[in-house]
Amino acid sequence: MTPALENLQKQLKQLPGIGYRSAERLALHLLVSQPARLPELVSALEHAARSVRRCAVCGNLAEEELCPICSDGKRHGGQLCVVENVPDLAAIERSGAYRGRYHVLHGKLSPIRDVAPEDLNLGPLLARLAAGEVTELILALSNDVEGEATCHYLTERLPANGVQVTRIGFGLPSGGGVLYADAVTLKSALEGRRHYS
Amino acid sequence: MRLLVFFVAKRNPSFFIRVYPRDSRRLPVRFTKVTLQNFRNLPLAAVALAGRRTFLCGPNGQGKTNFLEAVGYVTALRSFRGAEPRALLALGQAQAGLGFEIEHETFGTSRLTVELAGDRREVMWEQGKVTRLGDFIGKFPTVVFSSQDSQFMRGAPSARRRWLDLTLAAMDPTYLAGLQSYHRALSERNALLKQGGRDAASLSAFEHELATHAVTLVARRTEGVAQLSDLFRQAHARLVPEGELAVLNYAPDAVTAGREAFAAELVAARPRDTMLKSTSIGPHRDDVELLLNGRPAKHFASEGQQRCLVLALRLAQAAYYATKGGVAPVLLCDDVLGELDPVRRGKFWAALEGDPQVIATGTALPDGDDASWQVFDVNAGAITPAL
Ligand SMILES: [Zn+2]
Repeated sequence: MTPALENLQKQLKQLPGIGYRSAERLALHLLVSQPARLPELVSALEHAARSVRRCAVCGNLAEEELCPICSDGKRHGGQLCVVENVPDLAAIERSGAYRGRYHVLHGKLSPIRDVAPEDLNLGPLLARLAAGEVTELILALSNDVEGEATCHYLTERLPANGVQVTRIGFGLPSGGGVLYADAVTLKSALEGRRHYS
Repeated sequence: MRLLVFFVAKRNPSFFIRVYPRDSRRLPVRFTKVTLQNFRNLPLAAVALAGRRTFLCGPNGQGKTNFLEAVGYVTALRSFRGAEPRALLALGQAQAGLGFEIEHETFGTSRLTVELAGDRREVMWEQGKVTRLGDFIGKFPTVVFSSQDSQFMRGAPSARRRWLDLTLAAMDPTYLAGLQSYHRALSERNALLKQGGRDAASLSAFEHELATHAVTLVARRTEGVAQLSDLFRQAHARLVPEGELAVLNYAPDAVTAGREAFAAELVAARPRDTMLKSTSIGPHRDDVELLLNGRPAKHFASEGQQRCLVLALRLAQAAYYATKGGVAPVLLCDDVLGELDPVRRGKFWAALEGDPQVIATGTALPDGDDASWQVFDVNAGAITPAL
């Protein structure tokens, strides 16, 4: 064990789902078993770090100013679906049941975990709604306490221009998020969305 | 180190040839084998329970209650003494193992193991890992009759609230889910209060959630206590002479007129709650009172009357499980049978419904009982069949 290896292992261990043993295995794999692949991995990391950023409009991942969905003219501008995280957006995209646009909050309110309104991507959302193109706001946040509280927070702040607010939820496991639902469940959750009050 | 909690697969003949009693709603659940390792003061115990009446006999402090605590753990994956998981490990041990073989009318013969290590817990039911309490709670119901029960009646509301929550949750996982959501919303609001309560918009958002779950919880408790009170009155009437009327009364702390009204109360309570750094109103402060002839039993009932009331309360809990869940629960009688005089004890046995399994403890076998007990001696953490 050398200091450099130790440092690499420490960095790997910070990643989600990686424990001490996995970090050790990964580090040894990279340095001992497959050293030839290392430059490729390093440049992929550097390239991704340089080019991937948040979409200026919706908060999704993007390599341009706008993400592929925001720059796609064929998506319906009247529907706006609010999700907690990028993987939730990806899950809804995979279900194929939705052709509108998105807004990614990057979290949900949780004072216990120190997540306050200013930590969420809320301001740009309210600006989009105030601009007037959106007619239906679809809340696709998880149906746990924090997801529901975030929905409530959001609806209390809507501009007074009569946007219709709906909530997906039918068929979603209680306390679960969009990410844990399969495509069929998500499709029916979207189709069965109900008026939110 | 993997703990050795395993069993010899032993087919139960009645698994194939079922004989249904007349009242099929009240089929019992029965423990046939209990194996414990490093559980409190029990280093290794393997107890095969024969029949429906088992008595653990021995001086106090030898491990009798610990054995019942392990059996009772199966109902809601927690100690009926309210002990932290860490406290269940034998002194100086990092792990404890609990193994059970249980006959159940619906599940057949089940094997269940629990591994405790620090604050971690792993529950295996047959081949599957139990990951959510809601999927498991109340599957193997037990009811505890404890000599500490008079404290239950006279002490703080929290113990009675825990009892009510356990009783209702054991028969309805959606009650448990609602309770957990309520407490989650409560913690979130309390976190905002600890931050000084300045973020009124976030407070509103979580108070809205808190009020939603509070209203549901109060409605469920109201309904549950009404059903329990009926069963309580009936059980009590079988134990005492005529002329005494026992009632279980739900005493909610707040939430009388629905979600909006309670949310408004929460808004009004903000200044005080911010000072207290916690929420001062709501179902987490509810109580259930035992009334005798219309008056609070903790003040007006005699020692003997109180003993009958708590006995009746546990019988009501057992009847509730039998009615709602379809199986008569296992009764765990910790040092209570010996305290009853022979007449009361006779009435207790007569009040039992559905021929449940009874596992009892005491310093001596209750005299003059016609129950034919399988007897174990418990001495310094060793459980051995009595000669
Ligand atoms: Zn975008």
